[in-house]
Amino acid sequence: MTETRTFTDMEQIICTSSRLMNGDKLYFTAIGGPPLVAVLLAKRLHAPALAYIVEDGTIAPQVSLPAPPFLIAASGASYRAASWTDMNTVSFHAGLGYIDYGVLAAVQVDQYGNFNSTFVGPAYERPARRFGGPGGANEIASLCWRTILMTRQQGRKFVKKLDFMSSPGYLDGSPSARERAGLPPDTGPWRVVTETAVFDFDEGTRKIRLQALAPWATVDDVVAEMEFEPLVAPTLENIDVPSEEELAVLRAEVDPTGRTIRGRWITVELEGDSARLVEQEAPAEGA
Amino acid sequence: MTIVAEGTGVFLAPDPDAHRRYIRDHKEKGLVSKVMSEHEAIERFVDDGDYVAYDCNLWVRGPASLMREIIRQKKRELWIAAKFTAHDATMLVAAGCVNRIDVGWMEVGRVITEAQAAGDVQLFEWSNGALAYRLLAGSLGVPFLPLRYLGGTDVFKFSGAKLIEDPYTGQSICLVPALTPDVALVHVNQCDEFGNARIFGAVISPVETAMASKKLILSTEEIVDSDEIRRHPQQTRIPYYAVDAVVHAPFGGYPGTVPGLYKADVEHLMESGVAQMQGKMDEYLEKWVFSVSSHQEMLEQRVGQEKLDTLKAEETIKEGYYE
Repeated sequence: MTETRTFTDMEQIICTSSRLMNGDKLYFTAIGGPPLVAVLLAKRLHAPALAYIVEDGTIAPQVSLPAPPFLIAASGASYRAASWTDMNTVSFHAGLGYIDYGVLAAVQVDQYGNFNSTFVGPAYERPARRFGGPGGANEIASLCWRTILMTRQQGRKFVKKLDFMSSPGYLDGSPSARERAGLPPDTGPWRVVTETAVFDFDEGTRKIRLQALAPWATVDDVVAEMEFEPLVAPTLENIDVPSEEELAVLRAEVDPTGRTIRGRWITVELEGDSARLVEQEAPAEGA
Repeated sequence: MTIVAEGTGVFLAPDPDAHRRYIRDHKEKGLVSKVMSEHEAIERFVDDGDYVAYDCNLWVRGPASLMREIIRQKKRELWIAAKFTAHDATMLVAAGCVNRIDVGWMEVGRVITEAQAAGDVQLFEWSNGALAYRLLAGSLGVPFLPLRYLGGTDVFKFSGAKLIEDPYTGQSICLVPALTPDVALVHVNQCDEFGNARIFGAVISPVETAMASKKLILSTEEIVDSDEIRRHPQQTRIPYYAVDAVVHAPFGGYPGTVPGLYKADVEHLMESGVAQMQGKMDEYLEKWVFSVSSHQEMLEQRVGQEKLDTLKAEETIKEGYYE
């Protein structure tokens, strides 16, 4: 019995990320985009007790779904929160060690999980493309115990050298590099999630390591979309493709305008635990 | 104290003593009405070359009408704190008002990219949290505060932060300089004529921004009776003596939202985004700023009562704000 399923690369990234989240943990998420959508999906489907804070000071809101359009500037985003505070207060809470996970998106990631959201291009003064800046990512990636990063599996995103390090991973990878830079100990990137892979970080070297693989992709497929060769775990876990339920909830309730979940289409044929790639769109320019 | 590393970014140097003297010599301590027009407030309290801090959360509760007045009066060589700001930085740069930006996060498109390439605007790197925290330091009257982020990154290198050995624990700790802007713009839900102000909802750092700055202009959706303020003093977030000007500005956050009152005008935000992408910011500014004499005139002639009524009606969530 086979069936086909069609989803976007971003839907896969969001579903995989949301499955990493638990109801008994506290999350600090970017105010919009894939991180917030992944958190909302987890909360809606398998972790209703999950609580998250946002850098505008909102603590543990209960967004009613379907999410209102333009959620980043809608009162629905902070609806029925446990507390409305301010940016400094929620940073203090992260600094005190309350926040288990930060959830963030990245433009570029390097082998130590450092990431860029400032610019790409040859030089600071002459960016090929300038982005908004770190926003709250620097403090979230520094202060939360663990960080989940979400990005697409593309060579230009997994780079040998970042054009600009906006936010810290394990810095140069040396022991205690984060502590020497003034960051709290025992913190750092935990998972990097793409449409075909999940990476963790090797404890000894703090280098990024392929940990799980989509059933329709190979290790070579993943490594082909990286500028550097990652470590590979001895046993790779399997990433489930988005379930029909996940896709239905994402599309109808969590991101009904489709602004965040859009991406390149992937169609797979499912048979038991295996999935065969039927077709996929080429990455869009600038995506 | 050993400095381990320091950033090379230019920053507004903290001077708590000069700040104290400014407050002593310039702030009105009596209960006097500060209500004035947006024109008078910006003309009197924003000078060319000022460091301007404004509080908003992207398109939430920003002092949009005051920003447009700054553009209308063609203020020049301003230095702004772009913490969690969306289109405002683009507008100010497009209008030639701003030549230095401390970046936390801002909307960046061709206007800012081209201005940076042409050398018309300089960017300095911080983060949203670091800018809010620098304003906290400013609001505490201290020259710097320690924090446990920024270190190790390129943001640190391009900022004015320093990494030192903490004299208490011996560990590395980052310091950031207090930020004491020349002028702050804060949009509030309610205040009285003296400036006692209420802000409802989750916020970025309106109080820190207000108290860290030498001059403070409030725009307010509503001017309420001072007796009403004194019946619920717990709700007062900014006290009157910090305030230099109170500008009555219903829909002052437009095209953004004031939660509990009106929704953001998404259509307008699309228009501004398209104007930037198509290189038509001049036309946008002409339509929304220069061709009207005031915020009120813009609301009447460019937005229209029907649209305003709709934005109000669509904001159905009142819980936590006005009930």
